Amino acid sequence: MEESLDKQLDDTMNVHGVVGVLAADHQGLCLASKGNAQVSGAGLMSSLAEAGKQLSSDEQKCPVVCLESDTCNILIKSHDNVTMAIYKVAS
Amino acid sequence: MTSPVTQSLERIPDQLGYLVIHEDGAVIASSGELENDEKTAGIIMNMVHMASRVQLSPDRNDPFKRLSVVFDTYMFVITISNHKVYVCKRKYLPSEPINA
Repeated sequence: MEESLDKQLDDTMNVHGVVGVLAADHQGLCLASKGNAQVSGAGLMSSLAEAGKQLSSDEQKCPVVCLESDTCNILIKSHDNVTMAIYKVAS
Repeated sequence: MTSPVTQSLERIPDQLGYLVIHEDGAVIASSGELENDEKTAGIIMNMVHMASRVQLSPDRNDPFKRLSVVFDTYMFVITISNHKVYVCKRKYLPSEPINA
């Protein structure tokens, strides 16, 4: 049932620099994760994406939320009730 | 009221406004499109608290250095220094990648 989601995550993991990927639903349930992505962070990812939307006057606009550190960057975006978080090595 | 810190924020290129927020949530300084914007300050403090709990690296404690919220034409760039949260709203002008 989750084959297409799994394939999408596999394709994302094959992109150069990606070390983890996580998909969560709008309530913070982890749908799938690969690599360094922590399952326990699914709720935080969904919440960060939701809070980011509140920064715009148009609540339909979903921004990309980026967390950057010395070793890793996490890119978070939600679309149609699914939040994706991509862990990339810091370049 | 300008201070060395806000003077630096004023000089950020393409900046549309800024906020300086104390760790307890009080707005210390604000300017431009973020002037007196306590609502945005509250949302950003909430995001900072959540982001500080995200584990970026699996094996060691690696707190985030910068939090960016990127929309189509503008972005918020957020960092923490010396118990204060610095927020800058900047124009976002993505450039097309150059394919050699």
